[in-house]
Amino acid sequence: MEKVGIVGFNQVKLYSDANYGRYEMIFEAVRGAIDKAGLKKKDITTVISCTNDYYDGRTISNCWTVEVGGGYLADESKCEMDGAHAVLYGLMRILSGNHKLAVIWGGSMPSCYPYHSARLYETDPTWERPLGYVNDITAGGFQMRAYMEKFGVSKEEIARIAVKNRKNAAKNPLALAESQNANITVQDVLNSDVYSDPVTELMVAQPCDGVAALLLAPERQALKITDNPVWITGVGYSQDTYYLGERDLSVSKSMEIASKTALNAAGIKNPKNEIDVAELFEAYAHEELIFTEALGLAEKGKAASFNSEINGELAINPSGGAIGGNPPCATGLIRIIEAAKQLRGEANGYQVKGAKKAIASGQIGMCAQNNILFVLEGNV
Amino acid sequence: MGRQVAIVSAGFSEHASKRSDVSMPELVNEAIMDCLKKVPSVDPNKDIDAFVNGNMPAFEGANIPELWMTDWMGARNKPLMRVTTGGTTGGTVAIAGYYNVTAGLPGIDTVLAIAFEQQSQGDTATGLASVAYGEISILNTLGISYETLGRLLSAGAAIGVAAYQATNYMSKARITEEDLARVVVHNRRMAAKNWWAHLRMPNLTIEEVLDTPYVQYPLRYGMLCPASDGACAMLFTTEEKAKDMCDIPVYVNGVASVANETAVLGYDGSGSAQVDPSAQIGAMRSSELAYAQAGISFPRKEIDYAEVYSPFPNQELMWLEKLGLFEETTAPQMYENGTIALDGDLPVNCSGGVNSTNAIGASAMERPAVAAQQIMGTADNQVKKTVHTSIGHGWGGSLNLCTLMVMSDEPQRKWR
Amino acid sequence: MSKRTERKDMGYIKKDYVKTRTMPGSWYLSSYKYKFNISHMQPFLKKLKEKKLIANQCSGCNRVFYPPRLVCGQCLVKPDRWVDIRDTARVATYAIAYLKDAETGEVVERPMVLVHHDGTDTCNIAELHPDVDVKDTYIGMPIKAHWRETTEGGMMDIEYYDPIEDDAKDIK
Repeated sequence: MEKVGIVGFNQVKLYSDANYGRYEMIFEAVRGAIDKAGLKKKDITTVISCTNDYYDGRTISNCWTVEVGGGYLADESKCEMDGAHAVLYGLMRILSGNHKLAVIWGGSMPSCYPYHSARLYETDPTWERPLGYVNDITAGGFQMRAYMEKFGVSKEEIARIAVKNRKNAAKNPLALAESQNANITVQDVLNSDVYSDPVTELMVAQPCDGVAALLLAPERQALKITDNPVWITGVGYSQDTYYLGERDLSVSKSMEIASKTALNAAGIKNPKNEIDVAELFEAYAHEELIFTEALGLAEKGKAASFNSEINGELAINPSGGAIGGNPPCATGLIRIIEAAKQLRGEANGYQVKGAKKAIASGQIGMCAQNNILFVLEGNV
Repeated sequence: MGRQVAIVSAGFSEHASKRSDVSMPELVNEAIMDCLKKVPSVDPNKDIDAFVNGNMPAFEGANIPELWMTDWMGARNKPLMRVTTGGTTGGTVAIAGYYNVTAGLPGIDTVLAIAFEQQSQGDTATGLASVAYGEISILNTLGISYETLGRLLSAGAAIGVAAYQATNYMSKARITEEDLARVVVHNRRMAAKNWWAHLRMPNLTIEEVLDTPYVQYPLRYGMLCPASDGACAMLFTTEEKAKDMCDIPVYVNGVASVANETAVLGYDGSGSAQVDPSAQIGAMRSSELAYAQAGISFPRKEIDYAEVYSPFPNQELMWLEKLGLFEETTAPQMYENGTIALDGDLPVNCSGGVNSTNAIGASAMERPAVAAQQIMGTADNQVKKTVHTSIGHGWGGSLNLCTLMVMSDEPQRKWR
Repeated sequence: MSKRTERKDMGYIKKDYVKTRTMPGSWYLSSYKYKFNISHMQPFLKKLKEKKLIANQCSGCNRVFYPPRLVCGQCLVKPDRWVDIRDTARVATYAIAYLKDAETGEVVERPMVLVHHDGTDTCNIAELHPDVDVKDTYIGMPIKAHWRETTEGGMMDIEYYDPIEDDAKDIK
């Protein structure tokens, strides 16, 4: 696979109730990314957006955002999954040779609509929706229970992940203010309100308002645009079956398949030794443990003893992860941006020393039905 | 960088106003089975590497439905991507299928693209009207009362913003109702020979079309497109593998989907800079890009067949001009002198077009699918001349989105 | 499809399908809030109260936007100048609305126009004087804004547009 470079990115500060409108936010993200890379509007040849009709409260949510997203008279399309899947589509457009600069942006504003009611429309209208037992809230509970029972992992070990991520988010200036907490303890997490037994409120990635944008260019142009491009060397994505009862929720088969494809393409045989930092999209604290095992970084059931702190074996989510702020349709994109920041050495306050290779993931669907993994490499 | 892409098969489900016998996943499965039975050498479990799926989610009340229909598509444990852009969804799904193959990601050579819609499950008028809900509420906050807004926005009726486009085009080209009825008669009679089309009327005459009441001047009830349920599937693969799968692989030589700013209403309460909605600079730019990629310099001479997306007859005439096929304001004469007929020089919409079948999510994919079938020689209403190059087109949004796919039986070596 | 019009059988081949199970559902759009910025509109709304029209202009492409726009798409910058414009305009395009009178029940045809103010590059949606007939509306028709007596600083201060004399009408 030829190398494609990330040449610029920008993310707005995440708020749980932003006091500005959607178009202003998108303009800030896209214009900021273009300015940081030193490019101009005329250089943009293609724009891929990532929004969702149900989250925006209108059909064809991309037709009004053509101008603010930089897509005026540019080849524009929309991917309606996680922001990371939009980066995948942008990657394909660059690899085709038809375009030289791709702008990818995504985000939404959950303060404008009832988030869980909109998620309810993902459920199967014939069986699951009328019964009401399976929805995005209860799915988290099912998955955590399955993982705990299968491997004998305790609630405290899972809560420790939430504590780590919230402490990391406190060092990240762009993370959600409500999830930044440098003094949180395991007891605080276990004592918070029950979300869906055994998941508690502080273990969940809270939806918030936010938009992020990223720029991609082919290898030759990327080296001219910036001295420090971040190369995408591998990508893999896979979709699991839909019904929760047909899957083994204690493992993530789609992440296993996605990681095998991505790591093979990048030529990485031993991720634990070769990767320096991982930014995973975990919708709940226990998903980070499940993904750690699926990536091959730990034995099944032993992820809780893996040292994922910033100075540990392999730093996982040094920016706070999705628990540090989860704007729907942008979270996967922000994970890629944070991984790229680490590789460029721009993560002030939470930088992993000497980071050369990173992985970033995104997901969509209940209990991470569809996972996508990117392997990134810094320019040495 | 950038491999040659070939279409090897296209499949359709039966389209009807109410497919009450199937749920959404089953409808999609019907189209996929039709697509795969035409290429018996492809094993759906081993040979299909990735999937692209799309529809307009507002109609069925199901968000990201491709998660639900994973098993009905055969996509378990395989890569899958979703692309939706409103009215142009089918076109952008087909274009995404093309990009999936041409990018050359490891392990992805054969891609199945599916676009579908089951409009009978929702309220079409509300689904389409909700495009502007955000902008309407802003106008209300700026001082225009809901009563006035209701009056202002009821212009256009079933047609919506396209009514404004119709007025401009018709005063430019000075056409009469008879010209519009002639377009409708051509489309519906062509659809009669197509097993999957919705409105099949083999003996329709101009008088019958003009004998129906007005819905929105000057479009009569008989001239409007229906609201259908249906699905369409296309199989894309690389040049090497295509030779083993079918007799005449169809090479995708040019794709473009250039967007313009919205017409009629602007965003955040501002006006629209599309002062003439029938000028369509986005569509003209798309056609320039796609023709350049495909190596076409004289579209009228080099293109043998065209499928344009026209739910209303005046749009068909406008698009044929904007895509560079006919000189401005001369398209109505082509319908009179038979240039666009089945045995004409440049046949247009011989599958019945969108005027006869409109499952919104799928229609923009059915245009390139039929255009590809005409090159393969396996279309249900095959034209008399041999087709070497054809185009499939789609439009959507608030008159601002456009997709175009140019196909040929000879691969075009990359232009960059 | 308009439910008022009757379906006429034009001899089309129809097939009936066996009905299977159905489940009810709905998408409650009313529970959505739409946030938007008003900073670019404030000067415009203030001037409307004084019965004056202003628009903003992008220095990159020199386009004038009426009503004011947040971001110029062509240049991807915010418009930075304010210009004043006259209240004369032309009809850019129009469509017909069928309005049912609440008391009498009769259906009246009214033209709804997209108004293109002189000196601007955009058009916005508006109504014409209630007495103007659909048959008299044409593209390029010159019109003028009709202000309300008491203005409130909102978009409804222009109640509708009056047609004015067209000097080129008698030229063939």
